Amino acid sequence: MLLEIDGLTRNFGGLVAVHRFDMRIDEGEIVGLIGPNGAGKTTIFNLITGVLRANKGNIKFAGKDITGRKPHEIAKLGIARTFQLNPLFGDFTVLENVSASFHLRPRSSLMDIYFNTATYRRNEASIMKQSLDILKLVGLDTMKDELSKNLAHGHQKMLGIGRALAVQPKLLLLDEPLGGMNPDEIDFTITAIKKTQQQGVTILLVEHNMRIMDFCERVIVINFGEKIAEGLPDEVRENKEVIRAYLGGEKVA
Amino acid sequence: MRDWENMNSHQPATSALLEFDSPTRKYAKPAIYAALIALFALLPAVLSSVYMLHILILIFIYVIATVSLRAITISGQFPLAHAAFMGIGAYLSGMASKWLGWSPWLTMPCAALVTSGIGMLLGFPFARLRALYYAMGTLFFGIGVLQIIYALGRLTGGYSGLVGIKPLFFGSKLPYYYLFLGLTIGSIIALYRFEFSRIGTNLKAISQSHLVAASVGINEAWYRILSVGVGCFFVGLAGAGYAHYNVVLSTSSFNFMATLWLVMYVLIGGIGHFAGPIIGTFILILIPEYFRDLKMYSPFISAAILGIVVYLMPEGLVGLPKIIRSWFTQHLKDKRAVHAS
Repeated sequence: MLLEIDGLTRNFGGLVAVHRFDMRIDEGEIVGLIGPNGAGKTTIFNLITGVLRANKGNIKFAGKDITGRKPHEIAKLGIARTFQLNPLFGDFTVLENVSASFHLRPRSSLMDIYFNTATYRRNEASIMKQSLDILKLVGLDTMKDELSKNLAHGHQKMLGIGRALAVQPKLLLLDEPLGGMNPDEIDFTITAIKKTQQQGVTILLVEHNMRIMDFCERVIVINFGEKIAEGLPDEVRENKEVIRAYLGGEKVA
Repeated sequence: MRDWENMNSHQPATSALLEFDSPTRKYAKPAIYAALIALFALLPAVLSSVYMLHILILIFIYVIATVSLRAITISGQFPLAHAAFMGIGAYLSGMASKWLGWSPWLTMPCAALVTSGIGMLLGFPFARLRALYYAMGTLFFGIGVLQIIYALGRLTGGYSGLVGIKPLFFGSKLPYYYLFLGLTIGSIIALYRFEFSRIGTNLKAISQSHLVAASVGINEAWYRILSVGVGCFFVGLAGAGYAHYNVVLSTSSFNFMATLWLVMYVLIGGIGHFAGPIIGTFILILIPEYFRDLKMYSPFISAAILGIVVYLMPEGLVGLPKIIRSWFTQHLKDKRAVHAS
């Protein structure tokens, strides 16, 4: 079991954003997390990655309790993420965005970095090579010297994924990776995500686009911070409660 | 749209016309640096007045202060207590030499280290603050430092200033000139290395998005504290040097106005470029000196320069060659367009 979440609860003042949420993810799985706007999907991501602290419940990653850890510690353990609004290092080039994200592996000590030792130079060379590989995977190798803030929206989204891959994660959390992309970009991104999964990365994603949901092995539906359904994409789609959550009644659909 | 708003984007083709070809370029930079160092090394032989020497020494000290300020600002923190840290270094070194009788050569590095330590200790609580809150927090710290100096009047001289600090050299200003020239070059090299290594990259990453930086494993708080520690070390060194050069210290050199001057030097020189603080310090100290007869108006002159720079050169004085170049290429392009038609 890679990720185990038990009874996760988070309130914002009087609003219960996530309520006693449970989830299990196995190694190598690709799991979708869906739900209407405001259901608490992004809050769950923020709780897993330590951006927010849980009020109750605990999160275990690869057998270790990571509840309440800081974001950079969680990244170190092997959880990478993208963001829904996709902030980037805007004044860095595309290549720098990825190479700067190689903070953890390989890692040079401060002394190595400052005195430009052979270890540091070797690490930097390997980072350059791996960054170019990642850019090729997400299809940005031709625009590696552009400033990332000048990229088109779809490209920025892909760069977000590339940046997360630089962490060399065991678990990758993607927050609406296809949001605002055109059909070509969607095809390309889905291929990239599949390739990533084949390399052994477990993926949890939030998405509204059904094409990506169809190749999820499991879909979890939440509404008002509570899990209302879980199962194969087709099963979930037939689920009455899910239909009610999305459409407000059962007779439609 | 104004030309320079797009200048950050990479636009080869036309502007390449005016760039050096690459082999020339490879040696151009080291040659320029060597020439500059040689120029400053020979300058005292040419200068007629001791007063100019004095101004240059002050410029060197303030260049260390502003370049060290940059080491902190690249991490997205804008401290408003940098002159106060300079004061901490100055008073510590001055008091140690006066009361303990230590040699200034020993007290200077010690004072720099202690200043750095104080900065890092302060960094722990302040690493939780961002942007304006950080600026305000440091501002109040700076005011607090002065109050402590007043409160410890018996040790620090309080309102009447600290006198009786041991000088580094007796007599001529020339040894000071070369000492501070060396210290400045050394500090610039050290801080350049700091900024253009992965450490600086991490700091710049934090300043652009602390959320993303943390998500790739960069420890935001630690790196911010580190940058403050490094910045305070060098500003402490500058302050300590100032103490043993000036031999007399008063709090007015380290108050909030003094901090604002440092910020002005950085802003006018250009906040987005390593050379910005260096150029800004030189220009902003030299120009009012040039109009020395109008000394009482010097804040106004500086304010006018700030206004002009902010309005015409958003990148600061460092951006000036770029603006000229882009204006020039535009001119060439127009000319070619006329020919073509």
